[in-house]
Amino acid sequence: MTHHPKERPNSLSRRGFLLRSAGAAAAVSGAGPLLAACGSTTSESTGTGLEGPGGLPLARPDKRVTLPRWEDPIESGLKPETGGTFTVFNYPAYLYRKLLTEFGAKYDVEVQYTPFDNVNSGIQRLASGGVTPDVMEITPDTLDIGVAGELIKPLNLDYIPNLQKNIWPQLVDPFYDGESRYTVPYTCYATGIAWRTDMIKEDIAGMEQPWDIFWESQAYKGKVALLSENRETIGMALLRKGITDINTEDPALVNQAVSDLKELYDVCNIKVDDIQYRTVPEGSSWLHQAWSGDMIAGYIYYLPKDTPASALAYWKAPHGKVPVQNDCFAICSTTEKPVLSHLFLNYLLDNGVAYENFVDFNGYQPPLNEIDPSTLVQKGVVPENLENSVLTNEELGTDSLQYGTLTSQGQQLWQDGYSNFLAGGGS
Amino acid sequence: MYRRWLWPSFALPGVLWLVLLFVVPFYAVLGVAFGTVDPILFQPVPIWNPLEWNVGWLNEVLGRLAPGGIWFDVGIRTIVYVLVSLALCLLIGYPVAYFTARHAGRWKGVILILIILPLWISYMMRMLAWVNLLQTDGYVNDFLTFTHVLSQPRDWLGGSASTVILALVYGYIPYLILPLFASLDRIDRSHLEAARDLGASPWSAFRTVTLPLSKTGILGGAVLITLPMFGDYFTPNIVSGAPSTSMIGNQIDLYFHGGPQPTIGAALTIVLAAFLTILMLYYMRSIHRAQREAGTVGAL
Repeated sequence: MTHHPKERPNSLSRRGFLLRSAGAAAAVSGAGPLLAACGSTTSESTGTGLEGPGGLPLARPDKRVTLPRWEDPIESGLKPETGGTFTVFNYPAYLYRKLLTEFGAKYDVEVQYTPFDNVNSGIQRLASGGVTPDVMEITPDTLDIGVAGELIKPLNLDYIPNLQKNIWPQLVDPFYDGESRYTVPYTCYATGIAWRTDMIKEDIAGMEQPWDIFWESQAYKGKVALLSENRETIGMALLRKGITDINTEDPALVNQAVSDLKELYDVCNIKVDDIQYRTVPEGSSWLHQAWSGDMIAGYIYYLPKDTPASALAYWKAPHGKVPVQNDCFAICSTTEKPVLSHLFLNYLLDNGVAYENFVDFNGYQPPLNEIDPSTLVQKGVVPENLENSVLTNEELGTDSLQYGTLTSQGQQLWQDGYSNFLAGGGS
Repeated sequence: MYRRWLWPSFALPGVLWLVLLFVVPFYAVLGVAFGTVDPILFQPVPIWNPLEWNVGWLNEVLGRLAPGGIWFDVGIRTIVYVLVSLALCLLIGYPVAYFTARHAGRWKGVILILIILPLWISYMMRMLAWVNLLQTDGYVNDFLTFTHVLSQPRDWLGGSASTVILALVYGYIPYLILPLFASLDRIDRSHLEAARDLGASPWSAFRTVTLPLSKTGILGGAVLITLPMFGDYFTPNIVSGAPSTSMIGNQIDLYFHGGPQPTIGAALTIVLAAFLTILMLYYMRSIHRAQREAGTVGAL
């Protein structure tokens, strides 16, 4: 769950697109035209010193970036648009339909939900103009594309008071989008290991290096899987070797990680997929790299009635060594309802709405101040043995590990590495 | 003049169809494969003028597919899977087509409908159904253990090559049977009767008359199923998910599904298409030769 697509403005012609692409090429090679053109609305833009898409600086938890506004946000005090359709572009089944219907009823619009397969394919659809949503989910590591490509609109936070009121402080002014100029947070999660306690005999959490379990899983051949995401799989292999720079662009490190991953063919005939929220609770997978939200969703929806919650277990590395991320929502440039789009973002951050979306449907935790792991256990939302699947705000601090945008060369390196792993060994 | 253009004009819809839905899209893939990538959106930027084509991506793909390249194993694996699946399809499909064409009598229509029936359901749904059937505690294992074919349930979905091959056979076999049936059904029975009258045994008559005369059907069906099988990525994903059973289509899917190198996916598609063209040319040559031997080329 790393990337999310953006959309191209309707008004942008093919010629305009190509001209902009040419400009972007220049941006990558040197001074970013976006930064220059938007100088009047640009404040700080620090980051790593490396450049991502469009020449924008790359953000890291300890190197914050405030992105330039490519246009002015809408004015304050406008009335929301009504009538017609309002389109949400997101992962399939990643937002409670009931809540969308209620929002539509409140503002007299028909809310349409357009799903995408994954971030990258979504980007292709957006860039081709194949979809014209009002709002969409986006991730910090694809934010640069959205901004440099002018696919998402700058926000006017006057319309989104719930951000300041309800959300963890570090995500009110996040490192990847200083001043929340383009995004609001939606969900947050960590990457760890999910397993079936009735099938796996090792004490994974007690192991010196729990990631080693994948390399010691000969007994569970055919029941072991990793996430089918290049950042997550290669990142995991890096972490196993104690390398915490999960945004490295050093070919030697990435290639070594891929080489380590390839050992898993013989160890356990490793599989890759993103359906651990279902396969682990159902028992068809016993050991799986997993996002924390998967365990909560799996417990709520997929654990068979005759299987106790104690059959599920989740481990995540201690703070500072565990990859954590958050998904976001942004307003697409294609929207014809910019005010209503702002109100939708505010709606998502409402305590009641966000909580209901979490516990009644999604399983992925919103970064709400009022959510506390122990309270969720007391309420029976999360079983005690899965309490560690719930994140606290400290876990997304400046010393956290987060997958960030890579340079184009870095993205090629990681994609080719994953391709090498996915190709399998000699057979 | 009118008559001169009348009959050729009947080919116009077909030609238009081919141009719009094959030639133009294929040229677009060529434009992408030999093009560049938008540096912001990572969208392919096609180059339409062949004189300006960038062959770098194609060279990269060929290098990866060469012995020692990162895709060599997956390339070989794909060829093996497709060939084994094709052999199994023929082994199962030929008798079915033969029986339907020669011995089914009034049940012929019913059998054909039964063969086509699974195609009414989407390929994805049929594969997902197999995932349920092949679970460790699924009906397939129940049946095989009940009948003592297996002493204990087999982990069909644990990433095995045999499951991927069987799924490919299941998914594509109807497309082999139908052209094969059409070919066998057209064979003039008097040829067989002549062979028998001249002393040929049933097996000999089949080997020397039926089999050669059904060659075009075999080749037609084989081409029809091998072309999509070579590009299949969905089947190994659904019934296996293991990199050790991935196919070349999974690599195309990976690069087309986003990231900064969609041109790699397009270039791989071109290489695959070139490889499949060889099979296609062999098929066309065989058809042409068969027609010539049957004396129909001149008539056409």
